[in-house]
Amino acid sequence: MQAMSDSGGRNESRRVKIIRAPSFSIRTLLANLADLRQYRDLLYTLTLHRLSVRYKQSLLGWAWALLQPLALMAIYTVVFSLVTRVPTHGTPYAVFVYAALLPWTFFATAITNSAGGFLAHTQLITKVYFPREIIPATYVFAALFDLLIAAAVLAGMMAWYRIPLTSHAAFLFPVLAVNMILAMGLSILLAAVQVRFRDVGLAIPLLMQVWLFATPVVYPLSAVPKRFESLYILNPMVGIVENFRRAVIEGASPDLKSFWYSAAVAGVLLPIAFLFFKNREATMADII
Amino acid sequence: MPHPIFDLEFERVSKIYRIPEPPDPAQRLRGVKALWRKLTGTAVEFRAVNDVSFQVPRGQTLGIIGHNGAGKSTILKLLSNITTPTRGEIRIVGRIASLLEVGSGFHPELTGRENVYLSGSILGMRRAEIARKLDAIIDFAEVRKFIDVPTKRYSSGMFVRLGFSIAAHLEADILLLDEVLAVGDAAFQDRCLQRIADLRKAGVTIVFISHDLSAVQRLCERVLVMSSGNLIFDGAAEEAIRAYLQSGRFKHSEQYITENCVPGRLTNVEPCDAAGCPASTFQTGGEMRIHIDLAVRETIPDAWVHIRIFDLMRKCMCQLNSAERGVTLEPGEYSAEFICPELPLQSGAYTVDVALETSAGHYDSDWQRDCASFYVERKSNSAGLLYAPHRWRITPAASGALRGRLQGTGSIRSTQPI
Repeated sequence: MQAMSDSGGRNESRRVKIIRAPSFSIRTLLANLADLRQYRDLLYTLTLHRLSVRYKQSLLGWAWALLQPLALMAIYTVVFSLVTRVPTHGTPYAVFVYAALLPWTFFATAITNSAGGFLAHTQLITKVYFPREIIPATYVFAALFDLLIAAAVLAGMMAWYRIPLTSHAAFLFPVLAVNMILAMGLSILLAAVQVRFRDVGLAIPLLMQVWLFATPVVYPLSAVPKRFESLYILNPMVGIVENFRRAVIEGASPDLKSFWYSAAVAGVLLPIAFLFFKNREATMADII
Repeated sequence: MPHPIFDLEFERVSKIYRIPEPPDPAQRLRGVKALWRKLTGTAVEFRAVNDVSFQVPRGQTLGIIGHNGAGKSTILKLLSNITTPTRGEIRIVGRIASLLEVGSGFHPELTGRENVYLSGSILGMRRAEIARKLDAIIDFAEVRKFIDVPTKRYSSGMFVRLGFSIAAHLEADILLLDEVLAVGDAAFQDRCLQRIADLRKAGVTIVFISHDLSAVQRLCERVLVMSSGNLIFDGAAEEAIRAYLQSGRFKHSEQYITENCVPGRLTNVEPCDAAGCPASTFQTGGEMRIHIDLAVRETIPDAWVHIRIFDLMRKCMCQLNSAERGVTLEPGEYSAEFICPELPLQSGAYTVDVALETSAGHYDSDWQRDCASFYVERKSNSAGLLYAPHRWRITPAASGALRGRLQGTGSIRSTQPI
């Protein structure tokens, strides 16, 4: 009760907020970023909430975070090392594919969940204001958490197969950072489009299926025919998945060309997606 | 004189919604053309708020009233930044707490405690702030015993109390209030009112949006009246309520016609005096009529007109049907008249809902809320909750026969238990 009665004395620290029709200006952008900062605790709380709600009343609980990459690994290992042989430069296929599945699953989960999850918050969006980009962002962070759990299994597998970590492994951090930025950019972009066109949610599973096979997950980059390569590396996930695998299990130097390309795409996409999202946000509650 | 500080400023604010135009069945588009049409979309514009300007000085309690569709809720949405204005600018100084949607952001799987954190952060509280107030929030909501139980196990009362309690503990400079006070039991409502009174004393600016005109009159120093998106009055509560009631003239709106609506419309509703002339003021015990025009598109079997009269607190004073068994209405125009020869209402302002209903099929009725209003002036010799239509007879007591008759008919029989 008393807490609110001191509010009259906080005049000087009061924030002035101006609400007007959205426009693309630096001032609006800065105001938006300040707003996001104001709500950083919501980002944290909502991410925790994602993690704690997801496996409530489920028998296996957190094991589900492992089950998806493990199951895919099993299937791909059977298909691509027993049915047909994919060259892996001596790495056991199970490790080879599992290492690539980590960044890929993170990316696919983040995007699929944030586009779908956004509509699940219709109630909230039409009733309370908060920076809406927080919703897709929390799905990206929750997926990152799954990646960490799944990475523990990778460490176990590497120990089992006696695959050493080399100094090149440090490159995994910039790779993951680019992966994260790309996932974030695409997530908020698709969430914004989905508010108007529900086709996005329907198209994503198909898109992800196609995208998976257009990315060197089940096969190495070196298996791609030379004449397609210039076209192939237009896919920004190529530089991420290939370099993640090189850094962690192959102990090889990174393919800088594809890495810088991925970083450039991610770096351009995120600000554009953010501006677009903020522009659409103004009327989201009206059309969702 | 010091310049007043404005906590809220609306400067020429308009909000225009684009409502998709229903496809014209005469020219159905196919293939690419249809797809293109869906992408670009043709829409009709609807001005929910039209060029509205006002300023709210710090510490003022402002009421906003208006009939349904007048733009009140849009103003509320604009204030809470759920949507943005199409034109104009809103300036807000300080933190806004809105008690509009109690329990928004509650997740049923999470415990009460987890939900306090979640809901609090959605409302813009920092975690440290929530931690500091957690005990006060729990106690205010009276849910301490169940705070670590998932909220899906809560009773609806507990749910709402916890939601309200979180919002009420936000350190707000400006408070937006809707008709939230209809939650919880009487004791909880009293605590809510007390809380609001405390906040007012502490100098919090309050915007109160309500249908409950008597609550608005009690709470607000200043009242805005909205009508079809326009600000039509800005001033003292009592005059504002008059302006509000006058704005409640029947407006026929095509907008709400749906597929399964009854194939007939109410086209006009107007209170009239005994001579049939439109009037807005009546006298207790005098004659009042309500004239209702109908247009029927297709035959409606078993139709009736339904009328309800409400007081300012939206308490239903009476609810009446035109007939016990409906009549068949052939296509055409009709007028119905509700005639009350001796108005039993005491002085005050009243609003009227009228509906055209039928038992045939599963039609929705054409129900017009608040489509008319009128005042009643007190008859000098009556008081009380209502006026009983009556007659007096005073005769000399000399006649013993008369006394006997009076006892036989009136007083004695009425004291017998029923």
